[in-house]
Amino acid sequence: MATVTTETPDLQDGIRAIGLELSQRLLSSRPLSAAGVERRLTGAIMSDAQLRAALFRFVDVRPACRTPDELVRHLHELLEAAEGSPAARRLARAVGGASVRRPVAAAAGWGIGHMARRFIAGEDAAGALREIERLWRAGAATTIDLLGEATVTEDEADRYAARCEDTLRTLAAAAAHWPARPALERDSHGELPRVNLSVKVSALTPELRALAPERGIDGARPRLRRLLRIARDCGAHLHVDMESLDTRDATTRLLLQLLEEPEFAAGPSAGLVVQAYLVESPAHVDAILEWAARTRRAVPFTVRLVKGAYWDHELVEATQHGWPAPVFTDRRDCDRNYEALTRRLIDAASLVRPAIASHNVRSIAQACAYADAVGLPRHDLELQVLRGLGDDLQAAIAATGRRVRTYCPIGDLVAGMAYLVRRLLENTANDSFLAARACGADIATLLEAP
Amino acid sequence: MNEFANEPLLELRRPELRCAALDALQALDARLPLRVPVLIGDGLQDGVSFDSVDPSAPSRVVAVAQATTAEQAVEAVACAERGHREWSAVPAQQRARVLQRAAGLLRDQRLELTALAVREAGKPWPEADADVCEAIDFLEYYSRGALLLDEGRGLLQLPGERNTMRYVARGVTAVIAPWNFPLAIGAGMVAAALATGNAAILKPAEQAPACAKAVVDALHAAGVPHDALALLPGGDEPGKALVADPRVHTIAFTGSCAAGLAILQRAATVVPGQRHIKKVIAEMGGKNCVIVDADADLDDAVPAVLRSAFGFAGQKCSAASRVLVHDAVAEAFLDRLTGAVASLRVGPADDFATDVPPVIDAASRDRLLALIERELPAAARVARAACPHADGYYVPPTVLAGLPATSAAVTDELFGPVLSVEAVPSVRHACEIVEAGPFALTGALFTRSPRTVDEVASRTPVGNFYVNRDTTGAMVGRQPFGGGRLSGTGPKAGGPDYLLQFVEARAMTENTVRHGLVL
Repeated sequence: MATVTTETPDLQDGIRAIGLELSQRLLSSRPLSAAGVERRLTGAIMSDAQLRAALFRFVDVRPACRTPDELVRHLHELLEAAEGSPAARRLARAVGGASVRRPVAAAAGWGIGHMARRFIAGEDAAGALREIERLWRAGAATTIDLLGEATVTEDEADRYAARCEDTLRTLAAAAAHWPARPALERDSHGELPRVNLSVKVSALTPELRALAPERGIDGARPRLRRLLRIARDCGAHLHVDMESLDTRDATTRLLLQLLEEPEFAAGPSAGLVVQAYLVESPAHVDAILEWAARTRRAVPFTVRLVKGAYWDHELVEATQHGWPAPVFTDRRDCDRNYEALTRRLIDAASLVRPAIASHNVRSIAQACAYADAVGLPRHDLELQVLRGLGDDLQAAIAATGRRVRTYCPIGDLVAGMAYLVRRLLENTANDSFLAARACGADIATLLEAP
Repeated sequence: MNEFANEPLLELRRPELRCAALDALQALDARLPLRVPVLIGDGLQDGVSFDSVDPSAPSRVVAVAQATTAEQAVEAVACAERGHREWSAVPAQQRARVLQRAAGLLRDQRLELTALAVREAGKPWPEADADVCEAIDFLEYYSRGALLLDEGRGLLQLPGERNTMRYVARGVTAVIAPWNFPLAIGAGMVAAALATGNAAILKPAEQAPACAKAVVDALHAAGVPHDALALLPGGDEPGKALVADPRVHTIAFTGSCAAGLAILQRAATVVPGQRHIKKVIAEMGGKNCVIVDADADLDDAVPAVLRSAFGFAGQKCSAASRVLVHDAVAEAFLDRLTGAVASLRVGPADDFATDVPPVIDAASRDRLLALIERELPAAARVARAACPHADGYYVPPTVLAGLPATSAAVTDELFGPVLSVEAVPSVRHACEIVEAGPFALTGALFTRSPRTVDEVASRTPVGNFYVNRDTTGAMVGRQPFGGGRLSGTGPKAGGPDYLLQFVEARAMTENTVRHGLVL
């Protein structure tokens, strides 16, 4: 584990100044009425675990409902099953009557569709173009994530790869006509691709096996190699997402091995993700930095630092098997590790491009303050947020003149639900910064060192 | 004594542990073949020997075992009668300590035993490891359960009488164990018998005598008297002799339905010299169904069905062999399932990349291959994975969809990597199919409707009903295992009631009134 250093008081001042500036911009950003409603809803859901479970289960099953009747039946059943929640019982009675079935179905369908559209930029690349360009014009770069069902067959892996290819080409053609945004497309290392696609190795092969990483690597290699070629040829950035711990070794080795192939010496721009909730993440950073130092790629490797989105999964899996938790079980430990890794990546900015992906204003402020303190040029630090969750944060960061990139999922409703549920759970988890903010926690408290 | 917790599985996703496992395998290979003698009392017996071989490479002899004769089995019972007297007199607390010491010894040999199960039963690593863990779990769980049982049960107390009820061991227990969980199931039945003070005679499956010996060695080393625990390797002969012996009180059996029914029948015949009714605990087969409703998440259902049907080549009594999928999603489900089956890797059990290992022996392979050949023409849709061209007893994992309802693949337990898929108009219809079957072991339901879960749960006859997960992988203390109907006599292995099968209750009432006074 990395040694956790306590920062100097002057850094704490910088953090507070940047954090307060971001917060003020967040507060002054005109609150949309829908956002207000949602904030209240978030509060209500957070305080009622059973209602929360029922609603999330409903979102989850929504794509499997073929008729309005099925939709309402599921909603009613799930609310009824939430026995300890008076609110859920009231809702269950309200949606239970035959006469209200159609309006309820319509409202529920609309509600979920509305929610999904906030998180998902479009059904496919062509459909999302307008939104992606709008973000670009508004000062936010993007990275595109293609949502889909799990890949269990070779055909599904081919289809996912084809969608990736289509997305790269479609975006590359369109991006050529976007206006110049120097803050988003250049840093000290050179040019930054306008088009940025995030891919998942688990979608590129049905052969990922925790016990046999080589199988997944062999299975995904031809498809990822092809995507790297296309990215190189159309000047796009290809980012490989990180998923559960079971696939981390295969994912890391696959990408790093491929990038060492001679044909990729000059490009494309590529990157990987480090999940700070993993107790072993400092060693993962070590390995990536060592590799970057050894290979010295012409286009520096990007490292996106995230907290990690599979916390429950990792903990359940470890607990059920009797293994030590691979993730920090204390939020403050996790936050401290996040900050320590942030500093490591910023220290290595001559070697890799650090991308700090967080909705925690304290974490963002820490990254910025540290980068400023060590004299890193402003445009050499990238901040990343998720579409739907970090929209106002994205605007606030952009307004401070720092580079922000928004992670934009694309896909249909069926594919989007699993993503949506995970994001909603994250958003309403009790230790979530967003949730704390939604509940009106004091900003000075939120900016304290973890 | 601390509370029971399942033995942690090896975290084989860590490369250093996989290396250690392969090292252990190499060390084991250097010691092969192992010798498995007949163990009765303190004496070693002479006899004809037989081999157990590696299903992944049959030319590798894993163990040379002695075949127990009927006469030796009779001798073992005489010895066990003495052993029972000695062992049942040992305080329960001490017996529990001995069993837990044996668990500790197994724990000390984790990798070695895992490697042995990989070799002798052709179990892939994670499943071989789970087998070792389950053996440890049974020892730990039943030793604790026996202590609770030893306290007896509370009774109604009225003035002038003192009522007590306690449990005592039944006597000599014959344990007839299968090869598919070569460590766990034998260890579990033996542990239950020993924990409650019985003597046990273990007759392991012919295919896996060395695994059984490892369990018996650990128990002996931990302090179980040799008279109280015998090992009789061999085929049918010793098993039949044990079942027929008038001095055997309890027969704990896990295996096929036919063998179980034969044991039940034989054990019911009272022979001269017999002074008790034999108790048979039989865990038999299943024809386990997975119901996939229209609202199921196929991202979950497809991988779970694959694991349930093809894990360890379908050679688990809990394995799924029949899917009943709602018409509305049948095509999508089949498209994905058949595509997924094609990417399964069939290979040797010791390869971490293997999804589906060989089946246990040549007879099993030939039976399954012939069955698949017979059923293929009638199937509307077929998918299978490729088999390696190697010596192992390989059978391609096969999905047969749309077979007639009378096909063997639809109705019979096949105990191999063969899965039948049928489309059904409704979950209710699927329930009727399950209810009409002769077996009731495990079953799974994939749905996202709480009401459907309740409805199916209330009417399904299966002993282990799983919602939105695999049908396999029952854990001691968490998923007490066992079914009804022709799947078994019903006690739940690894559950709180199991030990009751191995004891008799004795009630006592003492008159506490003397000279009209309650003393």
